[in-house]
Amino acid sequence: MQKSRQEIYLIIFALILLVSPGFYASIAYGQDIEKRLSDLEETLKKQQETIKGQQNLIEGLKDELGKLKSAEAQGSTKPLPVTTTQEEGQQKQPKSLSVGGLFGASSMLNPNISVVLNTYGYASQMTDSTLKNRGIPGYYTNSQVTADMANTRGFNLDSAELYIFAPVDPYFNLYTTIPVTEDGVSIEEAYFTTTALPDGLQIKGGKFRSGFGRLNAQHSHVWSFVDAPLAYKAFTGSEGIDEKGVQVTYLPDLLIPLTIGAEALQGDNDILFGKDAESAPHAYTAFAKVSFDIGDDSTILTGLSLISGKTRSNAIADNTIFVGNSTLYGVEFTYKWKPSRLSSLTLQSEYLLRSQSGDLTNETSLKISPLKRQQDGFYIQSAYQFGLWTWGVRYDRLGIFRDDFQRQGDLSQSFGNAPWRASTEMSLDLTEFSRLRLQYNYDRSGRDDKTNNELFLQVILGIGAHGAHTF
Amino acid sequence: MYMKEILICLALIFAFSSYADARLNVVATLPWIGSITRQIGQDRVEVTTLVRANQDPHYLEPKPSMILAARKADLLIYNGLDLEIGYLPVIIESSRNPNIQSGKPGNLDCSGYVSAIGKVAATDRSMGDVHPLGNPHYHFSPRNIIRVAEGITDTLSRLDPADEAFYMANLASLRKQFDERQRQWSMVPLKGKKVVAYHALYDYLASDFGFTIIGYVEDKPGIAPSSRGVEQLIEVIKRAKPDKIITSVFYPKNEVQFISDKTGVPWVELPADVENGQDWFSFMDKVVSLLK
Repeated sequence: MQKSRQEIYLIIFALILLVSPGFYASIAYGQDIEKRLSDLEETLKKQQETIKGQQNLIEGLKDELGKLKSAEAQGSTKPLPVTTTQEEGQQKQPKSLSVGGLFGASSMLNPNISVVLNTYGYASQMTDSTLKNRGIPGYYTNSQVTADMANTRGFNLDSAELYIFAPVDPYFNLYTTIPVTEDGVSIEEAYFTTTALPDGLQIKGGKFRSGFGRLNAQHSHVWSFVDAPLAYKAFTGSEGIDEKGVQVTYLPDLLIPLTIGAEALQGDNDILFGKDAESAPHAYTAFAKVSFDIGDDSTILTGLSLISGKTRSNAIADNTIFVGNSTLYGVEFTYKWKPSRLSSLTLQSEYLLRSQSGDLTNETSLKISPLKRQQDGFYIQSAYQFGLWTWGVRYDRLGIFRDDFQRQGDLSQSFGNAPWRASTEMSLDLTEFSRLRLQYNYDRSGRDDKTNNELFLQVILGIGAHGAHTF
Repeated sequence: MYMKEILICLALIFAFSSYADARLNVVATLPWIGSITRQIGQDRVEVTTLVRANQDPHYLEPKPSMILAARKADLLIYNGLDLEIGYLPVIIESSRNPNIQSGKPGNLDCSGYVSAIGKVAATDRSMGDVHPLGNPHYHFSPRNIIRVAEGITDTLSRLDPADEAFYMANLASLRKQFDERQRQWSMVPLKGKKVVAYHALYDYLASDFGFTIIGYVEDKPGIAPSSRGVEQLIEVIKRAKPDKIITSVFYPKNEVQFISDKTGVPWVELPADVENGQDWFSFMDKVVSLLK
């Protein structure tokens, strides 16, 4: 009996609590009406004042008109006195007119434009022709691909990249990245992002660098090294996954920052898919990234990524064409300690695993053999910043756990030692707009016991609108 | 049987969720903005500050946690005049929060309430990190800060009309405190004093308190001092005989120490912003007393 009474009290209590937000809301509503009424009154008063002012103005104008008429009647050519309404108008303006906008100065008439010059000198003990033919056997040896990825000894112009960006309207921002190279002008990126979607959703569309992995979405001029790690070179090409498509990302309202995203992409990447692999879009990505802060100065960012699509590519070796499916998995980890502007330590690593299966056709003999490849690679790098200087070291390697290249059944083909490379760099940032870098690579990626000693001297300079830095 | 427990849970959830909804989520870029917002909003606002007092506000690493804070914000308040240009645009866009995009009621640029000094009509980056819209370090200027406080009050009232009277009352008590402090500060004899500053951080302070900055340790704003610049500055100091060299925690001290040793003019480290657990008044008190 008593128990049930307790329950009744509890239900009443709960009901009160349930109803109370509505009750508060109704009070707030009443206050709201009161406020609206007083606002209305004030508006009316203001309007009356305005009308009075206008009447005065009309009276003044009438007077002036009268004077003018009398002056005309007198045949006078005396100019009219200039009225002082201009000064009054200035006083009515708000205290400040600094419409800064999201990106700084007004970008209504002109979008924000900046140019980043990326140029470097390159030295190696190998000849240019050796460098142009040097692939990574078992990963890529197609002469076109190897030539595209090779550096030329002497002076190199990577590009002068033109960035143009501005808000389109209250719903979209537009970004374009147009690298101008000696071969011509291309569009690396041209995409919009939405700004008005609710609930932590954002859509990106056009041509953009995929959100797969860590380095891929970054522009090469913000990397800690001149060149891409071997794993990226071998699995995505040195340009990375840069595709036409659409991306949806979601930042849920949680206690820690988690971003999840998915993309539908055309699937044009030469190394991973090939231009005419399938009726497009045929490549899809998914990624999730989570971050933790450790105290005020340290942050960890880690994530998983996946990209999968159909492949029709001749990147594997000369005179061959591969038709099949490719999937690339990525695991990323970044630790950044930044106690002040001029000192920091970054540790970053990514592991990539590519899985391919399909048919490899020899284009001269027309011999078809089934091909299965499961290969992986990783890099680990650290960058230590002290003052204006940054010192970086990197180790990268292919074939960590898997290096299976199976042709015709279970017959595994071997290409020699696992490709690896060790690099170190020192860079000087005199301001945030300039970077000078010296980098040395001890490159054993040829799998042939030959070392490529590489030296880079790089200059990166940016002018124009202030670009945004991401984590 | 479990009726009781379920009801208790429901009750708790409702109690908490309505409680959470009652407070405005505010993200403030700089400590002084957060502090003034807290003084006006008190328990009706939940304030997250991005930059710490000992950090250079020109440079900030936009961490994912900051983006998440911005995602949850009802209101973003920032300094403006391009001070946060290196990180705020990316935080706003990545926040995926339509309420804080520029032009929206939840996006408050405090510099809109400020009469900026040091506007530059024509400049380029060879002159260093010059802000063409004006010197952004106006938080050292009492007469600008009180107007910013009014602006923050207006904005909070617009977003949360039910608490308007509360915010207005807090602004009134802030103003009272302000008038009192202004009287005290005006008695500190700073008029006519001459100082050397590391960065153009104290120009508003000089113009509000009537002292003169005769030179900067930095060659150009944001550009590290060169030995030649330092030599020239030493000559200037020997001729003009300033009272102090003023600098901030996030600037290197070796040049300042060197100049001080060569000229006998003492250097002093002023707080750059409101420190944790303090408010803007105690910050200014400290600044003024260190300048004495």
